[in-house]
Amino acid sequence: MNDLLRVEHLNKHYPGFALNDVSFSVKPGRIMGLIGKNGAGKSTTLKSILNMVRPESGTVTMLDKDFYGHEKECKQDIGVVFGGIDFYPLKKLSAITAVTRRFYQNWDQERYNDYLRQFSLDERKQFRSLSNGMKVKYLLALALSHHAALYILDEPTSGLDPVSRDEILHIFTRIVRDGNRSVLFSTHITSDLDRCADDITYIKNGRVLKSADRETFLHSFDHLRTDRDRNPLSLEEIMLRTERSDSDETAL
Amino acid sequence: MKLLYKELALAAHPTSIVFAFLGCLVIVPAYPYTVIFMFGCLAPYLTFQYARETNDLWYTALLPVTKKESVHGKYMLIISIQLCQLLIAVPSVFLRKTLAVENNPVGIDATLAWFGFGLMIYGIFDLVFFPAYYKNGYQAGKAFVMAAIPMLLMMVAVEGAVHIPQLAWLDSDALPDLMRQIPVLLTGILCYGCFITLAYKISVKRFENVDL
Repeated sequence: MNDLLRVEHLNKHYPGFALNDVSFSVKPGRIMGLIGKNGAGKSTTLKSILNMVRPESGTVTMLDKDFYGHEKECKQDIGVVFGGIDFYPLKKLSAITAVTRRFYQNWDQERYNDYLRQFSLDERKQFRSLSNGMKVKYLLALALSHHAALYILDEPTSGLDPVSRDEILHIFTRIVRDGNRSVLFSTHITSDLDRCADDITYIKNGRVLKSADRETFLHSFDHLRTDRDRNPLSLEEIMLRTERSDSDETAL
Repeated sequence: MKLLYKELALAAHPTSIVFAFLGCLVIVPAYPYTVIFMFGCLAPYLTFQYARETNDLWYTALLPVTKKESVHGKYMLIISIQLCQLLIAVPSVFLRKTLAVENNPVGIDATLAWFGFGLMIYGIFDLVFFPAYYKNGYQAGKAFVMAAIPMLLMMVAVEGAVHIPQLAWLDSDALPDLMRQIPVLLTGILCYGCFITLAYKISVKRFENVDL
């Protein structure tokens, strides 16, 4: 089966930051973690994929369609969550849902109600009265209720307690279980990736340092191991050593 | 229609909806009636300011709509508010007649010319405001200040014109004078249609290059 998402040669320049030649792909039935430190370009990459940021060059193929040419159709088949963004804080959840569901051809009200129950969400509450974790859960409930094939999530677990994080990561594994759907999520919490990622894309200073399945990814950083390392490096160690060596070189 | 529903249910500032009904102010015996149009111009400012605070552009960008449609939704809302205001003014003018309210001593009366000038004021305001806002998608205040200048100048000109004896026919509801005012009304309709179309095209072009 073809890739659900193929990102090729995305470029975007800002004063002081650039996304350079970003390419990677997400296969069906896989969870891909997009990892990098703060400001590395994870969110800009996701926003460029979704045309919220207009890339200067590059292509995005989603479900075998050129995303920029078929944005509306492609968006019907994706679920998107951006953590940390408050929508309509004074509106009740029921009002936001009533609008959102009108835009999706495959909206599944039963499934949405199931998620409300599962996440203990009360639709009568205003968006602002939810905790950060509950806000993410509500946005996830919206994203999960229209039978999307691809889920794109920006920092969905940031600021959540361990129980909520575990719950959300468990949902990711359930989503991809049928082998047809995929999840692409950005995070700087390496333990999230240890827990559920099948593939990892590491972004550093706006460039893809490595994009591969987890095993290949971990082995490709063996050169960072020292004599004292008896076991393969963890994701956290890989990230720390990669970023540290870079800052040491800068300092020198 | 889903876009207009979304705008009304989530994005529109509640006060801007109230402004849509202020066409009824033409019943007030003595009032500068062009101020009614100012409310119709404040509505987009309030709505865009509110949209910024509620991350409305973000929410819309995540829905299965394009940036062009996002702009389209806002236009439908603002056009609805402005035209609703004028439509509500129509029965209010007849009610004023029924109540035998005397000619407005402050400035222009709610004549056909008043409706025509109102459409011109809206058209000019929208032509400046929308493209200025969609340059970056967040500077609603700056866009309003830029658009308010021609709006205020036109308001002053219209209110002042009827105090010039040669232009007193603009303020009259006598049948021959109403006939003379028809071209003003038609010019207003033409201006509004052309300016709003031009403003929409520029706004879409600008917003497609905005990074959220």
